[in-house]
Amino acid sequence: MITGNLKSTYAADEQVFDNRNKKLFFAACILFLVGLGLFANDYVILMACRMGLMLIAVVGLNVVVGYTGQMSLGHAAFVAVGAYTTVVFYHLVGPYFPAGIMTILAFAVAIAVSAFVGLIVGLPSLRVKGLYLAVATLAANFIVIFLIEQDLFKPWTGGMVGTDTPTPNLFGWELDTKREMYAMITTMAVLMLLFVQNLLRTRIGRAFIAIRDRDYSAEIMGISLLRYKLLSFAISAGYCGAAGALWAFFFARILPEQFELTLSLQLVAALIVGGMGRTMGPVFGVIIILLVPELIKLGFGGLTGGDASMGKYRAPLQEIAFGLLIIAFLMFEPLGLVAITDRILRAMNRWPFAR
Amino acid sequence: MGQILQYVINGLMSGAIYALIGVGIVSVYKATKVVNFAHGYLIMFGAYFYYTFSVIVPGMEIMPDWLASWQPEWLLAWKAGLPMFSPMAAVADWIANLPRIGLGLVGAMVCNTLLGLLIERVLMRPLMGQSTFAMIMITVGMISILSGAASLIWSADADFVPHISPNAPIRFTLFGTTIFLFGADLVNMIIALLLFAAIVAMVRFTTSGVAIRATAEDQSTAYSMGISVPKVFSGAWALASLTGAIAGAILATRNGISPSLGLFGFSVLAIVLMGGLDSYGGVLIASLVIGVIEALTQWKLGGDWAEVVPYVAVLIVILIRPHGLFGQKEVERI
Repeated sequence: MITGNLKSTYAADEQVFDNRNKKLFFAACILFLVGLGLFANDYVILMACRMGLMLIAVVGLNVVVGYTGQMSLGHAAFVAVGAYTTVVFYHLVGPYFPAGIMTILAFAVAIAVSAFVGLIVGLPSLRVKGLYLAVATLAANFIVIFLIEQDLFKPWTGGMVGTDTPTPNLFGWELDTKREMYAMITTMAVLMLLFVQNLLRTRIGRAFIAIRDRDYSAEIMGISLLRYKLLSFAISAGYCGAAGALWAFFFARILPEQFELTLSLQLVAALIVGGMGRTMGPVFGVIIILLVPELIKLGFGGLTGGDASMGKYRAPLQEIAFGLLIIAFLMFEPLGLVAITDRILRAMNRWPFAR
Repeated sequence: MGQILQYVINGLMSGAIYALIGVGIVSVYKATKVVNFAHGYLIMFGAYFYYTFSVIVPGMEIMPDWLASWQPEWLLAWKAGLPMFSPMAAVADWIANLPRIGLGLVGAMVCNTLLGLLIERVLMRPLMGQSTFAMIMITVGMISILSGAASLIWSADADFVPHISPNAPIRFTLFGTTIFLFGADLVNMIIALLLFAAIVAMVRFTTSGVAIRATAEDQSTAYSMGISVPKVFSGAWALASLTGAIAGAILATRNGISPSLGLFGFSVLAIVLMGGLDSYGGVLIASLVIGVIEALTQWKLGGDWAEVVPYVAVLIVILIRPHGLFGQKEVERI
């Protein structure tokens, strides 16, 4: 049991895993993920991959919304940019490079292009905040999807009907099964989560948090709002771009409609449900947001016995459940699932003396 | 030259409807400081209610025949004497539809107002006095609930709804060019502008309007001066859903009934932000301007480019004037 965090050096205080329980928890998570990859059936693997993809995007969104305090309702646009950049990059320069390094190159390019788009979309954040920014990012989302659907870019993006995506290839190792993709996605997700944790204990991370708490005060203390707000948007968009690139590698085909407002809302919902500005928030949020519709699907199939005529009610029910999740968490636990687990852990710690 | 005039007039007519939708967003924002992201879906419900009460209910077995199609002797006699496709024939058709149009409008207004009051009471009131962020995100959550509920209740395919006014084609000459309009569009524009003016006048001159403005200025001061802030809240939501019902009925006759009506809310939200969230005048001007630009874009670049006009415009305006063209700048204290 850990009843406090006694530190005697700054180095110890700044560690990512600053106590024994966190280290154990992390090790247990890694073991669980490896075990899942080795023993789970295909359906579980598929779900885990979808969660991993979304987790990377939500971790990115968390940088902007949770740590820097800027609202965004348009992050699906960056996922779209990442996914389409990967495909277009393969089209354009695929023939000139060996297949073995194309995946890594495309991944890097997707992150870079998304981060650049993030810089542009982040520009309004210098002038407006809160809800104006939410609408500005929403507008950016509509515009990006619109441009992708345009006939003008059809040779590269495939327009409304979408486009086929390349198979990833790591130095000659073709990741053509879902299980191999699971390994790649999980590794990336864990690495990127750790990277954000590391970022937050640096000067940049502290600047983000200062801006979140009060942007004018942060500026008076010498934090350049221009630089750090844009940096925050760029990092966050880069994360979403990475998620998009993996998305393109994972699914055989991408469509512009996958990246519309619904996905943006899903990302924000995952963050609200999990808990903003916390490490495990995105993890819990993504699990809930993707698991609940799946459970409804299973339960619905069980109740109606797979009756086709009832099938049309399933999608609306999933939609309603999704909205109810957001509203219920906002009304009853605005700090998200992380706050609930915190309470449980604290109660366990103090048991049997206090609740 | 001639073409431009036609498109400008078309744009003004759709702009007036944007203004009618926008007035709901502005009213709720003025009273409660909540931006309703789900307003478009409230309008979609208005459209579906209009459809229910003007098409489904009159078509039921137990309803009298005159409700679905009213054909008194004199109307039949008059109609028989008219030539086909004349403007008067459109008026005669409209008179036959009058009972179900009336039922549809009344039903849509009543049901949508009840829905608005329900949303306010259940979802907004408990969070009163807390951060507006949570309330705004709740309206975001409402998007999914409303669109899911609509497709659960009205699973029927897109259907025809009766026009609110006689849909006679109108042709006249203006500055030497022939302008071609549909009567329904013209009347819709007049209805939208009249309602808009009525609401602005109400907010400016009546007691409840003063209460709304006082609440907008400072909630706790308004409370201590004897204004019932919860009543102002529900009043604002009722107003928004009432205008939403009429806007929904108009949109249903223009674009047909479909779940994508909800997306209108987002472009109107962009327009409202462009005009300034707390300024009725700004919203009217922005709506008309965007309506005209959309119509011109449609003419020059094609229909799908018109969809992104509001979003591009709002991004440009926000970068130059962060609080919209006519919005009040918020003063922030540290």
